[in-house]
Amino acid sequence: MKKTHNINIGNAIVHIEEDAYEMLTVYLNEVKQHFSKSADDFEIVTDIENRIAEMFAEALATQQKQVINIEDVQSVIGQMGSVKDFEVLEDVEDGAYTASAQYDPIKKLYRDTDQAMIAGVCSGLGHYLAIETKWIRLFAFLSIFIFGGGILVYIIFWIMVPKAKTRIEKMEMRGEETNLKGFANSYLHPFAEQSRGFIAGFIQAIGEFVQGTGKVIFKFIVGAIIVFASLFLLGTIVALAAFLGFWNSDVHNYFPISMVNEEYMFAMAISAFIILIIPLLGLILFSIRIGFNGRPVNKVLSYGLLLIWLGGVVTEIYHVAKIFTEFKEGAEFAQVTPLATYPVYSLKINTARFFTKEDSLNYRIDPTHYKGRKILNNLDDDYNTPRSISFRMEKSLDGKVSLNTNFKSRGKTFEVALKNAQNIHYDFLQEGASLIFNPVLNIPKMANWRGQEVELTLNIPVGTEIQISNEFNRYLKGYGYWDCDHEEGAQYTSWIMTETGAKCKFEKVKKEE
Amino acid sequence: MIAENTQTQMRKGILEYCVLLIISRGEIYASDIIAELKQAKLLVVEGTLYPLLTRLKNNGLLSYNWVESTSGPPRKYYMLTEAGKGILKQLDTTWEELSYAINTSRKVADKESKEQTNQTES
Repeated sequence: MKKTHNINIGNAIVHIEEDAYEMLTVYLNEVKQHFSKSADDFEIVTDIENRIAEMFAEALATQQKQVINIEDVQSVIGQMGSVKDFEVLEDVEDGAYTASAQYDPIKKLYRDTDQAMIAGVCSGLGHYLAIETKWIRLFAFLSIFIFGGGILVYIIFWIMVPKAKTRIEKMEMRGEETNLKGFANSYLHPFAEQSRGFIAGFIQAIGEFVQGTGKVIFKFIVGAIIVFASLFLLGTIVALAAFLGFWNSDVHNYFPISMVNEEYMFAMAISAFIILIIPLLGLILFSIRIGFNGRPVNKVLSYGLLLIWLGGVVTEIYHVAKIFTEFKEGAEFAQVTPLATYPVYSLKINTARFFTKEDSLNYRIDPTHYKGRKILNNLDDDYNTPRSISFRMEKSLDGKVSLNTNFKSRGKTFEVALKNAQNIHYDFLQEGASLIFNPVLNIPKMANWRGQEVELTLNIPVGTEIQISNEFNRYLKGYGYWDCDHEEGAQYTSWIMTETGAKCKFEKVKKEE
Repeated sequence: MIAENTQTQMRKGILEYCVLLIISRGEIYASDIIAELKQAKLLVVEGTLYPLLTRLKNNGLLSYNWVESTSGPPRKYYMLTEAGKGILKQLDTTWEELSYAINTSRKVADKESKEQTNQTES
């Protein structure tokens, strides 16, 4: 029994035995190569192929058989002539065809399983590098002691490098010319198959086992991907359900979601869900297909999913664009609060308010977890609004102390923007010389974030000292807080208002020394 | 090398002339041309003929018709064009001249070699 191929030559289907097929391929490649420098190569090769097809048809008819074997191919080649025969009649000066007849044999890296100890990696490399296999084996054996690197490299080669299966591949592996001469040689000197001893046989058995486990590991990885993707998918579904269930409670106050208008919320949540879930589904289906030889996904289904996904993307973009238009116009208004005069002011954050029970729950502040730390430093984790409060100090022109509070917001129109700004609620109070500021600004419960901002400007006369607490520094705008050293043991930095603006006190003292 | 080159040149020229001669008798298929050339011991393998026919065709000396075949793909049947016929006539005259030249040279050479052998014998 022999394996046969079906080939299409000269527009006819021919059954051909494997070795005959290989020989014919080699021959035709050689012919193509030979004529490749001629302008008419296509026509010439087609003529030759047609003639070969005709000869095959004749051979099949006269011998009353179905399959072309190697003798038929040999007789065809004999009749058609080899490339060498073509050269006899060609011009030497012309050089059109002759030069192409010599081409360097291409050497390719294959695993030589005929002379394998384990999987033929070393002997394959030996052929490729033209080094005796035993040296490569020695090197490979020694490299095992470099943290087992040799084993890893061996396994990688085993997986990546194909086995030399066909005669042509074996010839390429040896760097033999894959032309008829090389082909004939390979028939005369068949590839030696090493007789395997007991040990080699044992190693081969282990090798097959390892290859088997390699497949198992691959399947395991694919399986893990499927499991994780499925869990993530499930998580997304739960998240969507939870979000739709609780959307008008606290979640609405957190930053990216606080931008979204209530009426858009549902559509955006659904489309975000679609955008997430379809690629996940695709990943799972793809993994099943490559890992466990599943059937390819139905085309209609996959195009349908793609369309739905694109629909989700379009919906999301549409709403995002709509929300962006609500940031088009800006409006602001200012409020001036006169303050009692003191020589020294102390600026603080209203920590008391921040530690309401509700807030603690909101921000998941676990008092035991944060023991011994300044919790207000964690304001950076505050999702409620982007940093929307800024503080500046300015020289008071009339010698009076006042706090200028500037409310800013954006909106679709100026009126809306102004209304948004008016809806900002910001608490500030004076307790003697202490000015206590709220850490966050408040907007009405159902209002959206539209770039609401509060700009605080403290107007104080020249010579007044301001002590800025550590917690307060994040609101300072345009002052080098970190350049200003703390006085020993102090939880604040001291600043003094001068003619040219607020200056760090400690630095000033340093200079005088 | 020089000998080979000259042989190639001579064979090549004569092969073209012969092919044109064979085709001049009427439409003919490539493998029939081969058969005749083999008989004339000018050519042994078919592969050599196809580039030659393609070249002659591209130079306008030949044209061909596709003819359906019972055994395999349709066949190309070659024939001479007018230009081909003209060239063939020229080649005929050239051949006459060449064969005269060779015959003459050979006769002279034969005579001389005979005289030489006679001299050495005597």
